[in-house]
Amino acid sequence: MRLALRVLLGFLAGLALWWLATPAYDRVLAGVAEGAIRAFERPRATRLYAEDRRLVIDRADFPSTSDRPSLPLDDLTFDVILLLALAATTRGLLRDRAMKGLALSCCVLFALHVLAVVASVEGFYATRLGAWSAAHYGAFSRNLWATAVHFWRFVGCYAAAFLLWWFLVREAPAASTASRAPSGRNSSRAASAGAPSRASRPRGKG
Amino acid sequence: MQPAQKKFLLRFVVALGAFYLLVAIQPVNDRVVVPFTELLVRVSTVLLAAIGEETQSVGTVIQSPAFAVDVKNGCNGIEAALLLVAAMLAFPASPKQRALGIAAGLGLIQGVNLFRIVSLFWLGVHHRNVFELFHAAVWQTALILLAVGIFLAWSRRAAGGGTGSGGGPVEARA
Repeated sequence: MRLALRVLLGFLAGLALWWLATPAYDRVLAGVAEGAIRAFERPRATRLYAEDRRLVIDRADFPSTSDRPSLPLDDLTFDVILLLALAATTRGLLRDRAMKGLALSCCVLFALHVLAVVASVEGFYATRLGAWSAAHYGAFSRNLWATAVHFWRFVGCYAAAFLLWWFLVREAPAASTASRAPSGRNSSRAASAGAPSRASRPRGKG
Repeated sequence: MQPAQKKFLLRFVVALGAFYLLVAIQPVNDRVVVPFTELLVRVSTVLLAAIGEETQSVGTVIQSPAFAVDVKNGCNGIEAALLLVAAMLAFPASPKQRALGIAAGLGLIQGVNLFRIVSLFWLGVHHRNVFELFHAAVWQTALILLAVGIFLAWSRRAAGGGTGSGGGPVEARA
């Protein structure tokens, strides 16, 4: 019951933080992603900016009179809610180790968000601009970028948040405890694989 | 990172990638994913009728005079199912434990997902202003949290040897 309450509180806190911080976060994300894209493109034509929770794509070679395309950013960043809700389940979250793990997880997640934005923009260039796309991107590139974007949106964003929590934030199973567990092959391997668990609790009296 | 953790990570990533590629293949999508989504839509339409909403299903679309949604990948619970199955296959457990966990987990996820589809449609009809928030962030996160919760509960039992007694601590069994 307490665990469910902690998940709920973490979820609500994550949701509120994500909703309120997104406009500022989107601006930073757009700026860093723009730098990443321009570092590899010749000529350096891409301009990105955040507007109304969307990423507006501008290029120096777009006709000045045409509308600027935009992509939803919420879809790419809301996995931070999942990470924070999972983090809230961690016993001793406010201790150094867990807090460092959470801070590191947030940094990694930011880097993944930048990559997701880069992939989304490249995917847009590769598949949505008709003859221009065909002229600048081959079949392999088009499939690669489209698959990368789809993978991230479909399962990648969730898997990233889950793995970051599992390996960096969650209460680490005690190696010594795991090695003491003689109750079957699966049990001892499970404990060292990180069974969440009572298996990792310190041995009690009796 | 301990060797067993590395093994879990590697197995999870490989399994997730393989499942993703499987459902991304067009014939699998056309012959399995889309018909399954259509089934979800038909059941959701029945449930919506039970709460007084005048709806009909057309393929993967639920529509009423006031609102319509097209249920696509990402809303059919398959993403949560893939994560759960990949995690259960990556975690050390017996085939029987895995089979039971996967069957129960998938059933629970799809049961909750039906509630998600019905509630989102209801929100779309009656509270359109919050539909997008619930669609994009709240329900997506909640369903993945459910999948993670199922995995944690199952892995606790698997780590305890599948005793069926609430997954007693490994040490207690020692």
